[in-house]
Amino acid sequence: MILTCPPYYYSNIEMVDTAVCRESEKMREEYTRMIEHYFLPISTQQSNPETRFLTLKTQWEADTALLSSVTEIAMHPAYQQIIGMGHTAIRLILLEMKKRPGHWFWALKSITGEDPVLPEQRGRIKEMTRAWLLWGKEHNYL
Amino acid sequence: MSGEEIEKAFPNLQITGYSITSPATLEYNCIAWAAGESQSWWEPDPLSLYYWPSNTPRQYTAEAYKKAYENIGYAVCNNPAYEEGFEKIAIYIDIHGKPTHAARQLISGNWTSKLGQLEDIEHVALDDIAGQYYGSVGVIMKRPKEK
Repeated sequence: MILTCPPYYYSNIEMVDTAVCRESEKMREEYTRMIEHYFLPISTQQSNPETRFLTLKTQWEADTALLSSVTEIAMHPAYQQIIGMGHTAIRLILLEMKKRPGHWFWALKSITGEDPVLPEQRGRIKEMTRAWLLWGKEHNYL
Repeated sequence: MSGEEIEKAFPNLQITGYSITSPATLEYNCIAWAAGESQSWWEPDPLSLYYWPSNTPRQYTAEAYKKAYENIGYAVCNNPAYEEGFEKIAIYIDIHGKPTHAARQLISGNWTSKLGQLEDIEHVALDDIAGQYYGSVGVIMKRPKEK
């Protein structure tokens, strides 16, 4: 593959969020990951929270897609590393949830020690997501 | 996940045939789907983040899962063959006896399974998705069909 633009150009691409299906979003993520892989030194990948989060998220999603147990999904090493990012991860997770629901509730509760989801909302992913996004706004993460 | 990837994960499906019957969604999981629920994710997680029937132990055990389905009228049986007037479900377990998946029988005698966070599929036999990911069928349950 020949890439003629300078590396900084690729690493700063603002991808327009026009994905219409899971496949196109996956392609977008793979493209971003490929660019990072080619142009960003490992040290930068480790130190840039956004890049680190995206790399871990992509790995986690690929490895856990067929699992039905949230405990197993949350115990994946990449997910645990996202939890390990601590408060830095909160905004990144909430921004991700804004784009697409995911099983981020375990991570958010673990990092923040809070749970804004009402008992009657438990298991209802859209409502759980809304509750956390509202929490994020109230706590100035969004 | 594409059909190709599904077949890679469950090679038996290539032989017996299957169809994808829904888009991928996180709205519900296989345990809820087997119970006929498509609006929530059923999970006995230790943090109590997800829905789990109230009078059922929050444990990843076959006993707890059986209890969850008993709450909605199912009772253990030992035959997965289609029986007129009954609905059947199957709980899959891993080698440690931990539940991994559940499937529900359709009126055709085929089975419907929600694959993790992905699509629902209709498959012919319970063994079609047994193996690396879901282990084997550990419990069959049935209840009279609602008229």
